[in-house]
Amino acid sequence: MSDKLSRRDFLKLAGVGAASTAVLTGCGPASRSVKREPYMQMPEYTYNGLSTYYATTCRECAAGCGLVVRTSQGRAIKTEGNANNPLNLGKTCARGQATLHGLYNPDRVTDPIKRTRGNASGDIVTWENATQIVADALKNNKPEEIAFLMGMAPDHLFDLVADLANSTGINAPVRFGALNMFESRATLSKAAENLFGEAGLPFFDVGGAQVVFSFGANFLETWLSPVSYTRGFAGLREGQTKKRGTFVQFESRMSSTAGKADEWMPLRPGTEALVALAIGRLASELRGGSMPRAFADVDPLEAASKSGIKLETLEHLAEMFANSTGALAIPGGTALGQSNGLAVAEAVLALNAIADNFGKPGGVFFSALAPNQTEYQRSASVKEMQEFVQQMADGKFKVLFVHGLNPIFELPASLDFKNALKNVEQVISFATFPDETALESDYVFPDHHGLESWGYQRVATGSAQPVLSGAQPVVSPFYNTRATADVLIAAAQLASGKFAEALPFQDEVEFLQSKISPLMSEADGFFSAADIDTFAAYFQQYGGWWKLSDGRAVPNSADVLNRSLSSAEAEFAGEGEFFFVPFVSPTLAEAGANKPWLQELPDPTTTVMWNTWVEINPVTAEELGLKDDDVVTITSEAGVLEVPVYRYPAIRPDTIAIPFGQGHTAYGRYATALDENGKIIKRGVNPTDLLGQHFNEAGDLAFAGMKVNIKKTGKKQLLSRLESIMGVYGVGLGEEK
Amino acid sequence: MIKRLFDWLKQPLGLIAVGIAFLALFSLAAYGIFQSQQSPAQPIQFPHATHAARGLQCLYCHPGAARGPSAGIPAQAKCWACHQQIQKTLDSQLADTQFPLLKPLVAAVTSNTPLEWVPVAMVPDFVQFNHRAHVAAGQNCENCHGDMTKVTVAENPQVFNMGFCLNCHKKVAGENHELLVKLTDCGTCHY
Repeated sequence: MSDKLSRRDFLKLAGVGAASTAVLTGCGPASRSVKREPYMQMPEYTYNGLSTYYATTCRECAAGCGLVVRTSQGRAIKTEGNANNPLNLGKTCARGQATLHGLYNPDRVTDPIKRTRGNASGDIVTWENATQIVADALKNNKPEEIAFLMGMAPDHLFDLVADLANSTGINAPVRFGALNMFESRATLSKAAENLFGEAGLPFFDVGGAQVVFSFGANFLETWLSPVSYTRGFAGLREGQTKKRGTFVQFESRMSSTAGKADEWMPLRPGTEALVALAIGRLASELRGGSMPRAFADVDPLEAASKSGIKLETLEHLAEMFANSTGALAIPGGTALGQSNGLAVAEAVLALNAIADNFGKPGGVFFSALAPNQTEYQRSASVKEMQEFVQQMADGKFKVLFVHGLNPIFELPASLDFKNALKNVEQVISFATFPDETALESDYVFPDHHGLESWGYQRVATGSAQPVLSGAQPVVSPFYNTRATADVLIAAAQLASGKFAEALPFQDEVEFLQSKISPLMSEADGFFSAADIDTFAAYFQQYGGWWKLSDGRAVPNSADVLNRSLSSAEAEFAGEGEFFFVPFVSPTLAEAGANKPWLQELPDPTTTVMWNTWVEINPVTAEELGLKDDDVVTITSEAGVLEVPVYRYPAIRPDTIAIPFGQGHTAYGRYATALDENGKIIKRGVNPTDLLGQHFNEAGDLAFAGMKVNIKKTGKKQLLSRLESIMGVYGVGLGEEK
Repeated sequence: MIKRLFDWLKQPLGLIAVGIAFLALFSLAAYGIFQSQQSPAQPIQFPHATHAARGLQCLYCHPGAARGPSAGIPAQAKCWACHQQIQKTLDSQLADTQFPLLKPLVAAVTSNTPLEWVPVAMVPDFVQFNHRAHVAAGQNCENCHGDMTKVTVAENPQVFNMGFCLNCHKKVAGENHELLVKLTDCGTCHY
């Protein structure tokens, strides 16, 4: 301080300044220059400043988790899990949270459109015309020339189309989704049929187990019902009320599920069945008694040498499995997506017979069938999709309706869905977003976003109780969209005759009520009501209907160990040097690429965002002279991709892996990128472009059964990632190799 | 250079210059703060007195007061529910000449645009005011907002500051010490 202005004086002045500011504003509102914009038509139950909450169902994947969406002044603000719904008990995953980015996505299809295929722009048509077009398509074609291709979720729209198909003779709707392919659902249910004599989707009670061996099942990411399985995993690890459970993951690449495991077994791809049977044999020896036929033929030493897992390790694993009171083995994902996938599934399921855990807590069950379901309905395998595409290519279908999936992106390019579409005279898409398939359609009659729609969804697995998750609009539709169910009902009325008889409803809500009304008379429900209006109101309020009792069936395990199981190794297609593992991005999955929150969310293992990478072991990378961000060409028998390298220590040196989720050529601004001339180009790549048409015995694609070659291009493409690379591989320390 | 500037500022002329600069800054700040405390104009000079005289209860238009924190401003649909049955609203000639206040309402309804009302009774963001508790405790609207049968556009009969709140809270608590603690606790309004 100077001589003139002492420290004391300075503080006084500062005090006066602060005080005068306070006096002048009078501790009042920061600003009174405020305008309020009230509703023009305020709903009766809405109060200013108070949020309204609606229970509905998440439509981001087919699991069917319940949501409670907070809305304020007619806008959806936040999604959370529905605590009442037995499937997710109040939890959601990142995709569930990001569903708002679908609702508010600036690239939504806003009006019904007629377009020339492949042309991004189109002419807006009225909904009256749109309905007439659908009606004509139904009426003017033979029933066998009409096909419906729908998303994986077993929802009300599927029931509506199935009813329509049943009574009019048009082709039954086909359900498919890329997750279905990567989860190898057909293999799982076929293996269950072979072992237990009954097809169904097995349910694995991870939460009640003590030791869990997972062969490729990435159940903490996208597999079957990730929120429910994550809760199960929390139960496994719960250390306060019981002993902390142990988890071992067998797969050639460490997924983020494997990252949570106590032990990761990087076995050689294709040897899963061999390893499972070897563990079975060793565990049976430890248990004593006669050797079950299932494990009698396998040689643990051979398994050790072929899989790359030491014999001592196999013995240690077998001991762990045999000595536990709650051992559980789960087959899934990449382990089943190989030529011997069915054998893998059977071998791993058979391991559970040693633990004798069928129908017991911590064991294997058949998933509870949903309340209005009588038998397990599986979505189509890729083999069945191949037949479907062939029928399209042969010109068997005159009109194709597409809803809830994006087959051009989700099916492997080698199936050539896009070309087969050319032989379908009329393609009508009900897409909410301008995806690749909508771009190749003649008409896009946009459905509402999930948060704007009515509906229900059967919960296929993940809950002990039979659950029907209910959906209702949480906001008014933003755009000139219309519920596909309403369009089909109106079109059926216009088409008259058998179509009108098949769907004798006024609108979607009446159809829904007709479907849920039989539940009123069912005992043991979460709620019941005497009349449909009250029942439907409760159905909306609670977000669905479920039974209070356990609906899981116990598999018949009598014969599991008395059959011989194949320990054959998988066959790999192609002449390449490396095993190729495509895996589903835990954050994006098949339809998340247009949501910025999900794009910005770092991948759990590599922290890469907004792009695709190939994971290569640092040892291999060094041999090939590759560093991070070097672009390589990957060649399989089916295709070629260019993708930047990410050196990943947690992958076998003979294996490379690419995440599935990016590589869109359409689907909005966040899913695609722009080149320097402003032209829309791909963001990242789609690893299914490398997949050839090889199947396992259950008809699932052998997506993890390819071998590929890598070639350095000399180009570089910087990957944005969250992690610091300082010090890793000597980067930034002047000693980088 | 800076030392020379300081030396110049210390001589009488310099001190005057500093004073002028300080005053200018102070006035500017005062003007800025004053401006921030001015409300924009209401879209309609709403005659509360006329409506109250017709027997309308406060809660008919502001039902939020009994149900939640905010009393709320009615949606124009609520205005229209009555006004569409009133001849002078519908008759454009009458509205033009005798009842100009109705014109913005008719315009808003026909063009389907919201009326942007200006809130009158406001408290700063650090105060959590909840109407519901006050109505439930038997307070009438006029205790804070004044007699609406006498005013057109609502005005605040007093400044809504902490003294006003505490005066009433203390009076209500009276000799009841438990209630006094509850009603004068900082966390009751500031949380």
